[in-house]
Amino acid sequence: MQTWLRGLREQWGEEPDDWEQRLRALAGFCAFAEKDPDTVIKECVRESEAGMRIRLKGRRFYNDKIAEWQASLPGDRPAQGRAGNAVRSFLIHNGIFLQSGMQT
Amino acid sequence: MEFKQVVGRRRSIRFFEPDKQVEREKVQTILEAARLASCAVNAQWLRAIVVERDKLPKEKLDQLKTPVAALTLDLAPLHIYFFCDLGIVNRIKGERLKELVDVGALAPTHGWSHKFVDDFVYPQILAPMTQNREGYLAAAIADCGGAAHMAMLTAFDEGLGACMNTPNPGLVKGVFGVPDDWVPLWVLLVGYPAESWEAGGQRPRPPFEELYFEGEYGTPFKRDEKVVERLKDEGMIQAPAPLPGRQEEIRKLAERFGLPL
Repeated sequence: MQTWLRGLREQWGEEPDDWEQRLRALAGFCAFAEKDPDTVIKECVRESEAGMRIRLKGRRFYNDKIAEWQASLPGDRPAQGRAGNAVRSFLIHNGIFLQSGMQT
Repeated sequence: MEFKQVVGRRRSIRFFEPDKQVEREKVQTILEAARLASCAVNAQWLRAIVVERDKLPKEKLDQLKTPVAALTLDLAPLHIYFFCDLGIVNRIKGERLKELVDVGALAPTHGWSHKFVDDFVYPQILAPMTQNREGYLAAAIADCGGAAHMAMLTAFDEGLGACMNTPNPGLVKGVFGVPDDWVPLWVLLVGYPAESWEAGGQRPRPPFEELYFEGEYGTPFKRDEKVVERLKDEGMIQAPAPLPGRQEEIRKLAERFGLPL
């Protein structure tokens, strides 16, 4: 989570003003997936001789899991999308390239 | 648009107006430009399949969407999938080179004749080249790259935005059912930009003298600042990224399209 926060600061040059919301979203997702944040990241990468690689199956699993989780949330689609995007941001700023389409 | 402005204005556009369709005449213009690109031995390796995103059956579009390409495919209303037709050289067997001789593009002044093509170029150079798949592929793809880039520049000349992406080759072959000897290359995503045309400014590049040399390796080609100033006036060299307000622009686009930050 420190990497995530550092990434947000570097990207935007300021403290994220929605950090608490982001943390709540991540906590909600982790409870849904029954994983802790570090495990989520670990399951999306693997070590290779050339260094760290993205584990494609892991990324696809969490990509789908985030979609499943956000669809289970109360509220309208944009609100669900914002929650899902908080989790996607966590992955992205931890180096897991991810595109999941428009969440509108 | 003047040519230098087209070159200067081109940058990878990644936010498109998803519902603003690209006019068919503009699509044709893009393809016409690709067809006119310089091409080794006039083989014409490049092939393209034009896809209007909303006309692609949903199951096919979903197949193409991966965790690394879902957004761009969603946003761009037009996709041009480029392929390299590796079989072409052994189908035409030098015939298109002889066309160039016939029309005077290749002349005896430079050593060209039908007999040279029939006896030497095809049987001794081109046909053996196709047997070395790795080398042949590299040469053919480089050629395709030039043509695809002509297409991309033309998109900008037509007032559109574009971005070249690399799709999953296996998925592309499956979805479009292309011949076995077509190699999937890139997808040119095309549409009207949802971001400003500056898209944050001209992208950073390594210093000129680091890239280009004069006479020998190690002697940088000296960059004349007067030429640089002229190219700025003519629109080829433009304000470099990041332009003020780019971060705010990204935030607004993220809000509009529901994207992570």
